[in-house]
Amino acid sequence: MAADANIMEVPKRWDLPFSLDLVNEAERRHLSEAELDELLSKPPFCDMDAERFPRSLPLREVLRNDTRIRTYRDGDVVVRAGDYGNSAFLIIEGGCRAILDGLDRSVFNQSGQQRKSVWNSVKGIFTAPRLPEVRDASRYPQRDHANLQVGGTGALLVQDVPNLLSLVDDPYGTTTNTVMPTGTLFGELSALGRVQRAVSVVAADATESRLLEIRWQGLRELMRYDPALRDHVNALFRENGLQAALRNSPLLMRANLTQEQWDQITQDAEFETFGSYDWFGTYKELRQHQVDPLSQEPVIVEEDQYANGLILIRAGFARLSRRHGKGESTFGYLGKGDVFGLAELMHNAGSHKQVSLQATLRAAGYADLVRIPTRTFEEILYPALVDDWQSGALPRKVLGEQLDRRTYERRSEKRSESSLIASDRRRRVNNAGPDMMEFLVENRFINGTATMMIDLDRCTRCDDCVSACASGHDNNPRFIRHGQVHNHFMVANACMHCEDPVCMLGCPTGAIHRREGDGEVVINDITCIGCGTCANSCPYDNIRMVNVRDQAAGGAIMVDPARGRPIAKATKCDLCADHHGGPACERACPHDALKRVHMDELEDLSKWLNR
Amino acid sequence: MVESVTSFWTRRLRSVLLTLVAALLLVLVFYAGSIAFVDTAYLTGWVLFAVILMLAFFNLRKRLTYPPLLKAATWLRLHVYLGCLAVLVFAFHTRMQIPTGALEVTLYLLFVTLAASGFVGLYLSRTIPNSLADRGNEVIFERIPRFRRELGERMQALVLAAVETEAAFILSDFYRDRLHAYLAGPTDYWAHLIRSTRPRELLLHELHELRRYLSDGEIAVAEEIAEIIRLKYDLDFHYVRQGLLKIWLFIHIPLTWVLLLFLLAHIVIVYAFAGTFA
Repeated sequence: MAADANIMEVPKRWDLPFSLDLVNEAERRHLSEAELDELLSKPPFCDMDAERFPRSLPLREVLRNDTRIRTYRDGDVVVRAGDYGNSAFLIIEGGCRAILDGLDRSVFNQSGQQRKSVWNSVKGIFTAPRLPEVRDASRYPQRDHANLQVGGTGALLVQDVPNLLSLVDDPYGTTTNTVMPTGTLFGELSALGRVQRAVSVVAADATESRLLEIRWQGLRELMRYDPALRDHVNALFRENGLQAALRNSPLLMRANLTQEQWDQITQDAEFETFGSYDWFGTYKELRQHQVDPLSQEPVIVEEDQYANGLILIRAGFARLSRRHGKGESTFGYLGKGDVFGLAELMHNAGSHKQVSLQATLRAAGYADLVRIPTRTFEEILYPALVDDWQSGALPRKVLGEQLDRRTYERRSEKRSESSLIASDRRRRVNNAGPDMMEFLVENRFINGTATMMIDLDRCTRCDDCVSACASGHDNNPRFIRHGQVHNHFMVANACMHCEDPVCMLGCPTGAIHRREGDGEVVINDITCIGCGTCANSCPYDNIRMVNVRDQAAGGAIMVDPARGRPIAKATKCDLCADHHGGPACERACPHDALKRVHMDELEDLSKWLNR
Repeated sequence: MVESVTSFWTRRLRSVLLTLVAALLLVLVFYAGSIAFVDTAYLTGWVLFAVILMLAFFNLRKRLTYPPLLKAATWLRLHVYLGCLAVLVFAFHTRMQIPTGALEVTLYLLFVTLAASGFVGLYLSRTIPNSLADRGNEVIFERIPRFRRELGERMQALVLAAVETEAAFILSDFYRDRLHAYLAGPTDYWAHLIRSTRPRELLLHELHELRRYLSDGEIAVAEEIAEIIRLKYDLDFHYVRQGLLKIWLFIHIPLTWVLLLFLLAHIVIVYAFAGTFA
C-alpha cells in the first residue's frame, strides 16, 4: 500500500459532489435517488428537456453533483446581505423571507470556514514538511464509479422563476412580511455576477424549509441547456441588478426619496453594459501584442458631450481621462458604487449656463452601469440633493465622484464656464500621481482589493515576507516577490483578491470561490481538479499550478496511474485566511515596505505612496 | 484593511523623542544611584542585559510568524531605538573605559562590534534599496546566477553565429579576451559598492573602438553584445548590493548569540566572586 500511496487518479469535476462540500459534517451526505426523483418531478426541473443536456452533463447528474438539499428551521439565516455567494437557492418546501437591510452580524451563526487556533499556527511552523506541496492524500475524495449513474428523464418544460424583489411588499424598507413561496429562486444575482448578496434571507416556515442550493457552475449548466430558464434568469438578473444597484447607491439612499420617486427612477433608469464580461482574455492578448488598451476600451461618455444622465457604476471599472495634447491622460478610475456626471448635472440643474462633461469615461475591461436620465435627475434627485450640495454637506464617502464645489466655483471664476470640475477623488488621484494612475489602470491593478505593493526604496530584498508566507502554508510560499515596477513601487505576483475575480469564471467545480464574510478569493484544495482554468484566466498570472506530493508516500509526486500524469492543484495567496492576524507578508516586513492595498481606498494608497 | 498611514518623519520624530525621554530617565536613575553611593554597576549591568535580550528577541520574532505578536516593522523600530539606548547604558556600565580582564575585554569588543555592525546594517538597509530601485532590472537574488548563465549562453551563441555568418573574428577575439571572463561570474565588486559605472563604460568603449574594423552585420551583433554587457553589469550590481544586505546579517546575528553566551558567563563570574572583594 505504501508503495502505491502516491498513485491517484486525476481528479474530475464531480469527484466531490456539492452535497459533500460542507464544513458542517452532520450536513454532508449524498443526494439519494429518491430525492433526485423528487427534484425531477418538481418545477422547474420537471419542465426541462433532459434531451438538451449533453451525455457528459445529464440533468440528473448536474442535480446530483452541483446541488445540495439544506434544511432550515424557522428564523435560520440562509444568506446574509453583504456576503459573497457562489450559489443560488430554490425553495422546494416551506418558505423564506427577505430582509432588505443589513442584519447585525451577531444574529448570524454561520458555519463558515474556521481559522486555525494560534497554537496550531505555531505548531505548523515546526511540523511543516520539508518538501514542497505535500498533501494528505486521504483528504481527497475517492471516486466511486458504481455511484456515477448517467441517464436522463423525460421531456421537460420551462418553469417561470418568480422575481424575488417583486414579491416584496416594501422593497425599499428594511423588512418584509411577504414569504417567498415554494418554487422561488433567489441568490442568482450574487452567484452569477460575482457580487455581494443584496439582501438577507431567513427561513420562514413554522416547521422546516427545504432549500435546494445550486452552485453557480450547476446553475450555469442548467441555463446553458435550458433556453427558457436562461432567458428568464437573465431577465431577472438585469431587473434585480437594476433595483439592487439603485437601492445600494449611497447617493440615492441619501436623497430620502418617497416610494413614488423610487418607482419613477426605477422605471426611467437604464441598465447598460460596456466592454466584455470575459474581458481578461482580450486583455491578455492586448498585453502580448502591446496594443494601447485605451484604444480597445469602449467609450461610455466622452468629454465635452452633453451630460445626458447620472451614471452609477454597478460592477466593473471605468477609466477617467482627459484630452492632453494629442492623446489622453488618465487621472482616475471609478469602481462599483461610484457615480459620474454628478457635478455637471448639479451645476446645470441650478444654472442657466450649461457645462458639458469634463472627462471621458471608458469601460476598463467591462462596466455595468445604471444611467438615470437628466430629466429624471432634475425632477427628482436635484431637489432632494440641492441643499446638501449647496451646503457642502454631501459627505465624501457618499459619492464615488466626490465633489468640491468651492474648487469648482473658484476655477469657474478664473476660467471659462467649461473649466474643469475638480473633485476630491481627482485630487486624491493627483496625490498618487497621474503616472501611477496610468500604471494602475493600464495594468488593471485597480481590480485588486488586496494588491501587494512593495516600496522598492525601502525593501531590502530580505524575503522575510516570502518566508512568513511559507511558514503559514506548510513551507510553500504563495506569491513571488517579483512583478511589474513603476517608479520605485512593485506590484508583486500575489493574488489581489479582485473586486471582479475572473479566475472564478471557468472553474468547473467551484473550488475557487469567495469566502463567506470578507470575500477573500480562496481555493478549496480538495475540490480543485487541477484543470488550470483559473490560472489561465487570471490576467495577472497570480495563480500557480503545482504538482502535489503524497505525505504517506514520503513526499513522492502523486501520479494518475491511467495517464501517468502528475496530479496538479491550483495555488495562490489566500491572505492567510486560515490564520489569525491577517496577511503574514505584511506583518513580516521589517521595513514597512509591503502593503496590501485596496484600490478603492485611494486616499489610503496616496498617503502610503507619499509617506 | 484600512489603517492609518503615518509619515516616516512623524514616526521618526515620535520615536526619537521617546528614546530621548527614556535616555534622560536612565541617566537620572544612574546619576541618582551614583550620588547615593550605590554601586550602579549592577543596576546598569542588569538594564543592559535586559535591553540586549529584548534586542535579541527581534531575531526570534522574525523566525516565528505565529503567534502574531506586533508587526515586524514595529519590532525593528524598537530594535533600532533600543539599540541606541543600549549604547548609552553600555557607556555607563563601562564608565567609558576599556576593561582589563580577558573576558571583559572580549565582551567589550563583542558589544562594540555588534553595535557598530548594527549601525552599519541600518545604514545599508536605508541606502542600498534606493540604489537598487534606481538601477531597475529588479531581480531576485537567488535567480541571479541563472540569469548570468543565460546571458553567457546568449552571448556565446551570438558570437558563434556571427563567426559563421559574418566571419566575425574581431568579435570572437574580443569575446575570448574580454567577455568570456566578464560573463563567467560576478565582477567589479568595488565599483558596484561605490555605484560606479566606469568598468562597464570602459568595456563598452573598447567594444565601440572595434567598430572601425567591423562590417555592418558585425556592428549589429556588436550592439547586441553591448546590450548584454549592460544587462550583466546590472545583474552584478544587484548581486553585490543585495549580497551586502544579506552578508552583514551573517555578522550581526552570530555576534549576538556569542555576546549572549559571554554575557551569561560574565554574570555568573560577577556573582560568583561578588563577595570576594566586597
